[in-house]
Amino acid sequence: MAVTAEDFGPTISLDGARKVRGNLTQARIRWMVLALVMGFGLVGGRLVQLGMVVQDSTIEGQARDVITATRPPILDRNGLEMAVDIRVPSLFAEPRRIIDVEEAVRKLRTVLPELDEAWLRNRLTGDKGFVWVERELSPAIQEKVMRLGIPGIDFITESKRFYPGMTEASHILGSTNIDNQGISGIENHMDGENVALLQDLGLARGNALAPVELSVDMRVQHVMHEQLVDAMTRYQAIAAAGVMMDIHTGEIIALASLPDFDPNDPATALVKDSFNRITAGIFEPGSIFKTVTMAAALDSGSVTINDQFDARFGIRFGRFTIDDFHGKHRILSLPEVYKYSSNIGTIRVMQAMGKEAYRAFLTTMGFDIRVPFELPEMRLPTVPKEFSDVGAATASFGHGLSVSPLHMVTAYAAFVNGGNYIAPTLYKRDIAEAEALYRRVLKPETSAEIRYLMRLNALEGSGSQMNKEALGYRVGGKTGTAEKVVDGRYSSNKVTNFFGSAFPLDNPRYAMIIMVDEPKLENAQSGTTAGWNAGMVTGRIVQRVAPMLGIAPDFSEILDQNLVPSVLR
Amino acid sequence: MIRNLNIILIFTSALMLAGVYALKFSIENTASIRTALIAEIDSQEGQLSLVKADEAVLSQPGHIEPIVRRHEMALAIAPVKQEQFGAFADLPMRPAKPNTAAMDSLFESLAAGVDPIDAILEVEGIE
Repeated sequence: MAVTAEDFGPTISLDGARKVRGNLTQARIRWMVLALVMGFGLVGGRLVQLGMVVQDSTIEGQARDVITATRPPILDRNGLEMAVDIRVPSLFAEPRRIIDVEEAVRKLRTVLPELDEAWLRNRLTGDKGFVWVERELSPAIQEKVMRLGIPGIDFITESKRFYPGMTEASHILGSTNIDNQGISGIENHMDGENVALLQDLGLARGNALAPVELSVDMRVQHVMHEQLVDAMTRYQAIAAAGVMMDIHTGEIIALASLPDFDPNDPATALVKDSFNRITAGIFEPGSIFKTVTMAAALDSGSVTINDQFDARFGIRFGRFTIDDFHGKHRILSLPEVYKYSSNIGTIRVMQAMGKEAYRAFLTTMGFDIRVPFELPEMRLPTVPKEFSDVGAATASFGHGLSVSPLHMVTAYAAFVNGGNYIAPTLYKRDIAEAEALYRRVLKPETSAEIRYLMRLNALEGSGSQMNKEALGYRVGGKTGTAEKVVDGRYSSNKVTNFFGSAFPLDNPRYAMIIMVDEPKLENAQSGTTAGWNAGMVTGRIVQRVAPMLGIAPDFSEILDQNLVPSVLR
Repeated sequence: MIRNLNIILIFTSALMLAGVYALKFSIENTASIRTALIAEIDSQEGQLSLVKADEAVLSQPGHIEPIVRRHEMALAIAPVKQEQFGAFADLPMRPAKPNTAAMDSLFESLAAGVDPIDAILEVEGIE
């Protein structure tokens, strides 16, 4: 059979087997190169992509930060630290990694002998991954434990709150628990604000938190605390307390209450009677409340500073007769009623005003509610909803109702600052912020008359002991000697003494309440009424702190004369 | 051509392998340095917090007062009394009456052509 080229299509060229394989190999290599290039390209691209990613390092190590979560430092108004965080080592164990529990217990107890043996053995036995052994140790102990070389025992650094002022500002600061959460005082208030939230979010790290600035001046706080400690021994009192307030801004400059506690050792706060008497103690204020009565009556216009009041005889209410302590038993002018602290005169002043109007004024002054204040330790005052005739009479000189010293200092501040009620605060507040919060409770003229009465009492009345101590600083104030109720009767030898004051009265800036509870005679020549103890303490404090607060002494009598209302000149 | 490419690829691979390993080890090294530094910063922050707390204790008025009291005698210091305060306004004015005799003699000597200041300048060596 003949095969011709015409019977077939175009000529096909046949390559040799070798050439075919060679071509195939080349094609495969090309594909391989492409695949490799693509593979490397992919890897390279991914590398570039990874290089561009910005690492979010804020989440890293969050577990550690919950433990070392810090609290902001607390500073006083001049920037002195009142509370700081320190880093301390805490001992923990990983029981599942401990090889010989008996050995570990024996060795640990050579360094920490206070640990109970059975408790420690129980603690270190088991399959747990983490248990605390002892928290907040010193670096020296850490060093010793590390030297023991026990496997499964290690340290972690924790934040611990430290109060460099020790007991001095204890009631202001409060304290924190072992997990660094505020349990009382301003520490507790701060947590309520925002610190707890920050800690939960893991944002309270390192020193990132801005310090909290308080209104307290540690120098003044120190002097007040020291003088109160002195008063406790000098008058063998069972308690003493004091608070000073800036009358224009409401800032608390100092606040101390004895007996107190060491915030570095929170267990001491549980000791009986160490509560904050300024905010959480309510007392019958006694005669310092007469200033409230005078302010109420003068402001209502029912009485004027020129009026005379009959204080010749005691006032009878049914079986009771209210009389004066060391009374003058004559007709007294209004300044004399205040100066001699006449109960009869004060009742007449209140009666001229009317008991309903008087009760309404107490509400205006916030004596029905807690003072709006940062500290959580507050108590509700007890003031009767409605006054009976005798109730109103006793209330006019500060008996039959109980308020906290913080109520009194806030009232005194409003009386002398021109008549504006300003709630106290422990945080810094400037005058512009404060003015926005002002609530007018008295006319400015009434405020001027109260300043005159307070200064008059310091010059000629029961505040003269105080004035001798603080000559030149134009302090004025009112004493209050409240008899305590013992077995249902007022006792004359158990008294709570108060001194409410303001200074310098020609241009008042600070109001202060000092309380001395159950004072005894300092010596045979002295007395137990408030002028002898609470008054003297006030005088000594002003004498020390006035220069610190930028108040220079001035002995010129013209300043006192200027305080006298024009109608009396 | 393929052989050359292969050789180049092999060498590149080997080089890159070496490079990657070098990078890996250097990163591990850097990471360990970083960890050490973090630990050091941590411990120094801890020490700093203690030092700061120390400083705060030392600058408390309650800490300074006992020291002052202890050295009161030696340094002859005491709390300031009201009488010790003064003001510029309290300073007495200069005596109102001028020293006329001295003024007269000065003017006379000036009129005579003798300036007393020259004598002082001469002594001081100032011309």
